[in-house]
Amino acid sequence: MSPPLEVRGLTKRYGDTTAVEDLTFAIAPGRITGFLGPNGAGKTTTLRILLGLVHASSGEALVAGSPYRKLQDPVRSVGAVLEASNYHPTRSGRNHLRVLAAAAGIPEARIDEVLEEVELTGAARRKVEAYSLGMRQRLSVAAALLGTPTLLVLDEPANGLDPEGIRWLRNFLRGFASRGGTVFISSHVLAEVAQLADEVVIIHRAKLVAHEPLEKLTARATGGALARSPQADRLRDELARQGIDATRAGLDGLRAQAPAARIGEIAAESEVVLHELRDEGASLEEVFLELTGGER
Amino acid sequence: MTRLVRAELLKATTTRLLLWLVLLILALVTLIVSLDAGQNAASDLASPGHQRDLVSSAAVSAVVALIFGIVASAGEYAHGTISHTFLVAPVRPRVIAAKVFAGMLAGLALALVAEIGAWVLAALWLSGKSVPSHLVSHDLLQLFLGTLLAAAIAAGIGVGLGALLRRQTGAIVIALIWLLVGEPLLAIGGVQPYAPGHAIAAVAVGAGHSSGELLGFGPATLLALGYAAVLALLGAWVVNRSDVT
Repeated sequence: MSPPLEVRGLTKRYGDTTAVEDLTFAIAPGRITGFLGPNGAGKTTTLRILLGLVHASSGEALVAGSPYRKLQDPVRSVGAVLEASNYHPTRSGRNHLRVLAAAAGIPEARIDEVLEEVELTGAARRKVEAYSLGMRQRLSVAAALLGTPTLLVLDEPANGLDPEGIRWLRNFLRGFASRGGTVFISSHVLAEVAQLADEVVIIHRAKLVAHEPLEKLTARATGGALARSPQADRLRDELARQGIDATRAGLDGLRAQAPAARIGEIAAESEVVLHELRDEGASLEEVFLELTGGER
Repeated sequence: MTRLVRAELLKATTTRLLLWLVLLILALVTLIVSLDAGQNAASDLASPGHQRDLVSSAAVSAVVALIFGIVASAGEYAHGTISHTFLVAPVRPRVIAAKVFAGMLAGLALALVAEIGAWVLAALWLSGKSVPSHLVSHDLLQLFLGTLLAAAIAAGIGVGLGALLRRQTGAIVIALIWLLVGEPLLAIGGVQPYAPGHAIAAVAVGAGHSSGELLGFGPATLLALGYAAVLALLGAWVVNRSDVT
């Protein structure tokens, strides 16, 4: 069976600028995959190529094994949430959905269902210009859900949302995935998807820099520990005996290449007094920044 | 295809655009008919030809239909709703075809409003000035049908032009400058009757009405449809090739 989303050797050039270069990855069904990279890394271009809105210069972008433009009734396979501002200001939210439903041959009864699902029923007949950013974003989600797709693609959906909006979105996507749906969500902030994603695809300057499960990225993040002890030299020798490298840091500090728990065990066994002991690995965000050259 | 046409008609009827255009048409028709009928004596208004001229003010609906067509296609780029449209219907030439069809239907509706408005106003002025009416005739029926067809084709031309340029304001400005400046200049070369605006005007006056400055109804209809088809095809080709960013 084809993966829900797949790109192979995908390249997009705008004149001399390369927006996406030789990108290859596939996402797994039934999981939430974060699509990360600094602003301008090529995320939106990649998503728009996948959704048939932008033409690739070379390579392939496939949804359920087929180019988006060749999908029969695409909204029944994939729902997309693009920028929140793409609405006619004087059309009501409900009418916006009616237009899309008419074009996709979806019965009007489904409109009320999706409005209910995104908690927008009360505001459905108001003009979109009166909507807050969060409401527009929920309208986008409602539009994406019209065709009851099994795959949701979201481009920076948390941009500009208040904390409550972000929490709503996160809970919603968790629910969608728990019912077997696949989610591909882009963001330039790792923290936004870290609590959500099962795996991450990271791109930087148009190229893929990592595609791995979140646990693996987390494992990269947790490395050494810092200990402070009046017997720092003795602790260093004890650690060396266990094959753990450690270097002195400051007057009584010791930076060791092992988790804090392991250092604590060794210190207890060798009766070394500890004044402080903590994990000091890079945070997830730092690993992300390291992979993407510190850009946001 | 029916679905896409339905969606396009829904787009047209779920914003205020059509309402504003109807008001614009009624204002223009009122202005033209009232200026003409108000300034002329009852004896001048008595001729069937003059009464026909009063009602022919409904042809202004063709210009308004042209603007509607432009907004129906280029407006989606202005508001960014084109992404939603192509997500649902990724085969873009089909979308343009649906827009042409729906645009032509809207053009018919706009022309109908203009004709009813012009006819009622003309009838009111004539009865106010106690002039015998010739407003029910075979000639006027042909004028009515011609104007309906002209507005429908003009809307189709507008959709094609809007798709080709994908800039709403730019396309409207270009279309109006062409009609007001470009076509009058063509008189120098003697090719004016073949220009799109004049072809539409020749359709609007209806069958059986000849004028030295305009083509006959049949050739003009074919030519105007040709302009609409070429612009729609070019527009579809450009839209299909372009990136929606």
